[in-house]
Amino acid sequence: MRITNNMLINNMIGYMGNNLDRMSKYQNQLATGKKISVPSDDPIVAARALRLRTDVAEIEQYQKNVKDAQSWMQVTEDALAKIGDVLQRSRELAVQASNGALTVDDTKKIGEEVKQLKNQLIQLGNSTYADRYIFSGFKTDVKLLNDDGTFAIDVNTITENIKYEIGVGDDININIAGGDLFNNGGDAAAGPVPGKLIQDFNSYIAALDSGDHNTINNTISIIDVDMNNVLRTRADLGARLNRVDLTSNRLESDNISFTKLMSDNEDVDMAETIMNLKNEENAYKASLAGGARIIMPSLVDFLR
Amino acid sequence: MGESFFGLNIAVRGLFSAQRNLDIVNHNLNNVNTPGYSRQQVVQVAARPIAAYNGTGMIGSGSDVVAVNRVRDEYLDFKYWSENVSYGEWDAKMALLSEMEVTFNEPSDSGFTTILGDFYSSLQELAKDSGSPAVRSLVRQKGVTAAKYFNSTTTHFDNLQADINYRINANVKETNSLATQIQELNRQIYVSELEGNSANDLRDQRTLLVDKMSKIINIEVNEVVVGKLSDGREDKHFVITVSGKAIIDHFNISKLAVEQRKTKLNEEDIPDLYEVRWEDGNSLKVKGGELRGYLDIRDGNEGGNGSPLYKGIPFYQKKLNEFVRTFAMAFNEGDMDYNGDGSIDMTSSENGQGYVDGFGLDGLNGRRFFTILDDTANQSIDSTAFLALSGATVRDKYKNVTAKNIAVGFEAMTDYNTIGASDAAGETGNINVLGKLLDMRHDAQMFGVGAPEDFMKSLVATLGIDSQQSVTYSNSQLAIIKQIENKRLSDSGVSIDEEMTNMVKFQQAYNASARMIQTMSEVYDTLINRLGLR
Repeated sequence: MRITNNMLINNMIGYMGNNLDRMSKYQNQLATGKKISVPSDDPIVAARALRLRTDVAEIEQYQKNVKDAQSWMQVTEDALAKIGDVLQRSRELAVQASNGALTVDDTKKIGEEVKQLKNQLIQLGNSTYADRYIFSGFKTDVKLLNDDGTFAIDVNTITENIKYEIGVGDDININIAGGDLFNNGGDAAAGPVPGKLIQDFNSYIAALDSGDHNTINNTISIIDVDMNNVLRTRADLGARLNRVDLTSNRLESDNISFTKLMSDNEDVDMAETIMNLKNEENAYKASLAGGARIIMPSLVDFLR
Repeated sequence: MGESFFGLNIAVRGLFSAQRNLDIVNHNLNNVNTPGYSRQQVVQVAARPIAAYNGTGMIGSGSDVVAVNRVRDEYLDFKYWSENVSYGEWDAKMALLSEMEVTFNEPSDSGFTTILGDFYSSLQELAKDSGSPAVRSLVRQKGVTAAKYFNSTTTHFDNLQADINYRINANVKETNSLATQIQELNRQIYVSELEGNSANDLRDQRTLLVDKMSKIINIEVNEVVVGKLSDGREDKHFVITVSGKAIIDHFNISKLAVEQRKTKLNEEDIPDLYEVRWEDGNSLKVKGGELRGYLDIRDGNEGGNGSPLYKGIPFYQKKLNEFVRTFAMAFNEGDMDYNGDGSIDMTSSENGQGYVDGFGLDGLNGRRFFTILDDTANQSIDSTAFLALSGATVRDKYKNVTAKNIAVGFEAMTDYNTIGASDAAGETGNINVLGKLLDMRHDAQMFGVGAPEDFMKSLVATLGIDSQQSVTYSNSQLAIIKQIENKRLSDSGVSIDEEMTNMVKFQQAYNASARMIQTMSEVYDTLINRLGLR
């Protein structure tokens, strides 16, 4: 084949362009740390990258939701524990007051303490988490109980479930409706009639005030029923909290494995890319050196 | 031996031949870097010999230069032109598609996936604390970001379409200019060659112009024999046709022209796009070259409405519009066309709960989170104005929503407390409606290809695959072009070494002829001055 000077020059320019192109590709990969910068570099990798990004972002959001759910439920749990303590103390006092030897004055003094306990109950019923009333169902901006212990609002125990999403199509109910706790599993209804728990306390206090030993004696078993109700809601909440904890663990491992998948999919192997870049650099230098030798001399240089 | 001074004549012919050869060497060396130049060669023959009168043989009379030819394999030119058409088309597509890819900005931390993901994250936060002003403000802001993403993407596509339109006009003008130059060269070449010479340099120039034209538009080049010249040679006319009609026929020219369309080809198009046609009014179907690439990208809508069968800008605009319409309707109204029949069956599960059913903190419902931008007021319209838009049913009103005008509704923009999460008035913690909105993210039936993110993902992947294909085609066409180009250079290119060798060769021949004159001179000196006259 006949070779002309312009062929050599064109070829050299072409090859050097290709070399530079490949060098810039690897240089890009090193600078961004990614195998691809536009979908056309590899549409399959790009589509998968988009999917995984969404997955990871979602998992991270669910992790936040789980943490918030845990906080809310722990505050609820604390309140329930305290309510349990109040009831326990009330029961002890009832046992003490049921002693027939006590005079009305004595039981009245016990009554004073029970009144305080009732107030404590009312305060616990209005517990908040981040300024939201945790037992008020959907009306998180309104107190559940008035100061006298009657319900300030209606709360439907069946429907007013606050749900957090902790996975795709996976909701967890984080709250306990006020009625469930204060009205023995029933609904809360605004009005002059308080819920069963407060009612029990009211008649308990009345009995103490009047020194009615019989009624006080009966109160012990009534408080037992109330304590059972609190324990029931606590067990229910505990089971849910347990599920949230398990989900939290699963999300954590999901996050790690999906992040790894994402990295495997789109991140470059630095060592390999640096080697490739070095390799291309050598080829580029060689083509420059070769080009310099080829382009320079022609017969012109040798004719005198 | 015949006449006395015959030897001198032969030597002079030798000088002339060598000189002519040196001139051509000079010309070749001058044009070593001239684009499109093909090296020239002198055709030198032995001059007509003279028969000796006494039958002792034919006596040579030196050399003659009969022609100067260019060294050119015209088959390679025809091959180059046909391949260049395809290269032009894919090269143009490659450049434009890569620009479109950048528009989508995926995969990155600021593309659609991230933006929609952020929007849903803000809704998740709202679900956890629906009374919080900070979160409500965040939801509004993320909604605005999502809407703006579509506004800016579609505006970018509009700009690109306008840009391509401009390039189409420029291409048509260049084609006409090339055609005019070729027409002029045709005239010069034809006239010069009537006498039988080859118009080497003019032909080189014409080939170069045809090279350029072949990248722009699909051309077919022929030298058509139309008859015989008076000296018996074939009378050839140079003809270039575009899709069957001659743009150049010997000395005649038919120019191309552009005309602004009166009606849009695709409803997503910007107005006044150019239609390419013949100047005489005939329609033209561009089948290749850069123009075809530009037209495919500018008009391509998968063949709809007679548009090119390619996924160009209108296709992606259409898809973006489809996305915002479907998404806004699902989000606002809770209505999704599950069976894909184009309408919402109000009695089936296609009619669900949406944003419009949600009560804000002010205890009211019936708002729409996504409405459209009112250009004159430069703000989004409210739900009442939205319902006043054209369309028989509420569903039909979403036909007014496009990627360009989607915006967060006026109510939410002015007061984030209107954002409706609850299905009953006055229940701050009630997120029953919001829960439905969150579920939609994973509703695989919202679009034919799946959930909202799947739709956009498949759109980006489609563009990626088309772009990758254009890169592959363009590169392989380029390799073919380079190969032909190299073959041409190998045949027709000037080799400096070769020319230098020739220079030495003809210099020697010149020197030898000159020496011959001196020898003859000495011979005549002896004959004239030294014989007999003592």
